[in-house]
Amino acid sequence: MLEVKNLHKSFGENEVLKGIDFSVKKGEVVAILGSSGSGKTTLLRCISFLERADSGTISLDGFEKDMTELTRREVRMLRMKMGFVFQEYNLFRNKTAFQNVTEGLRIAQKIPADKARETAVNVLKKVGMLERADYYPDELSGGQKQRVAIARAIALSPKVILFDEPTSALDPELTGEVLEVMKMLASEGTTMAVVTHEMGFARDVASRVVFMDGGKITDNRAPAEFFSSPESDAARRFLRRMTSDRGI
Amino acid sequence: MSERLLDILTSSFPKLLLACIKVTIPLTAIVFALSLILGFLLALVQILDIKVLKQLARVYIWIFRGTPLLVQLYIVFFGLPSIGITLDAFPAAIIAFSLNSAAYNAETIRSAIMSVPAGQLEAGYMVGLGYGQIMRRIVLPQAARVAFPTLSNSVISLTKDTSLVASITVVELFKTAQQIAAVYFEPFALYCEAALIYLLLNTLLTFLQSYLEKRLVWKYSAEKKRRKKKGALA
Repeated sequence: MLEVKNLHKSFGENEVLKGIDFSVKKGEVVAILGSSGSGKTTLLRCISFLERADSGTISLDGFEKDMTELTRREVRMLRMKMGFVFQEYNLFRNKTAFQNVTEGLRIAQKIPADKARETAVNVLKKVGMLERADYYPDELSGGQKQRVAIARAIALSPKVILFDEPTSALDPELTGEVLEVMKMLASEGTTMAVVTHEMGFARDVASRVVFMDGGKITDNRAPAEFFSSPESDAARRFLRRMTSDRGI
Repeated sequence: MSERLLDILTSSFPKLLLACIKVTIPLTAIVFALSLILGFLLALVQILDIKVLKQLARVYIWIFRGTPLLVQLYIVFFGLPSIGITLDAFPAAIIAFSLNSAAYNAETIRSAIMSVPAGQLEAGYMVGLGYGQIMRRIVLPQAARVAFPTLSNSVISLTKDTSLVASITVVELFKTAQQIAAVYFEPFALYCEAALIYLLLNTLLTFLQSYLEKRLVWKYSAEKKRRKKKGALA
């Protein structure tokens, strides 16, 4: 479904991604874990071309090419096969929840208004935000905003949805409603790559865990194996820290 | 107050008001429209980072913000004829004011566009929009709201600055006051009366600004719309 090979990215002197091979199969939920600064977010941002990769190839839904040689049109075509959920939601502030969902449908996919409306109603209902359809982002709580952002992503029926720490900006009591929605999507077979610090989500929902350390993938296995016997020392240290922090 | 002074004031008031409506307001409106367009273009070439044009815009802004408006007005009206470009006073005023005001508006608009978080652009890309579409539909509407109070400020300044064109023979509000004052030897009363009319005009503009500003806040207009909807249901 989605695969990147030998992905490199530096910011100035700082090499953030040191040759990443990463893939998501159809229907898979891949949790990407790692300490801050390990390159998780940069990986997602390179895959979605929000950052230009220095080298690497991408293949998505049958299309394969060197990431540095993509034309603007190819980038746009690939992006239309992806959904992206941002840590900071990034809902269009001048549009209502409903308009946030229909924007891509109407303008990018050129779907007629009545069809777009139908889709928007469906996805907003799905994330439990239909009764807030006419509200602007400034009128919504963080959890509500993120649910609308998820609705905006799934409305475009992407092949894969990339989540960049979707609950990290939320108050702890609001993370649950967002995780519930993500769990529901996972159970429906949505293909997802999720950068997260939610260990519970990685353990219970993900079909695979990828652990990153210092710009490399050091662990790549089923959640049960990862949590019981992590491969790398870095992952072991990370898990010890995560569990002791939470007093578990 | 003497009866004579009262007579002068009441008979001059309609004349001043007329000059305000016929010259000051149109001058302000035309200059504002032109300077908004030019200012937007100057901001855009900088935001889009277009080589050469971007540098030219910076030089333009540097010159027009760095020299006095009155001097610019004199250069256009009294100076240009000596190199063969002779303009009537009103068009000369429009040109000098628009060029000057555009330099300020460019900075206002540029900073307003830059104040829209990069995440808005990124989210636009990820729903499949192109740069132009995102600019038009997402970024500029948000930037407009940010720029609005500062641009309102510039309109209010402009109404007052138009009094400078009295010095290049345009008979607007202030020039009319000067003429009447000269006839009756009542400068104090007439200039105060002129000041009052500027104040009235700007009071109206201030009301207009706060009215429009409220309507520009999406949250506010949404609440109002919903209240109306509820009202219709009840």
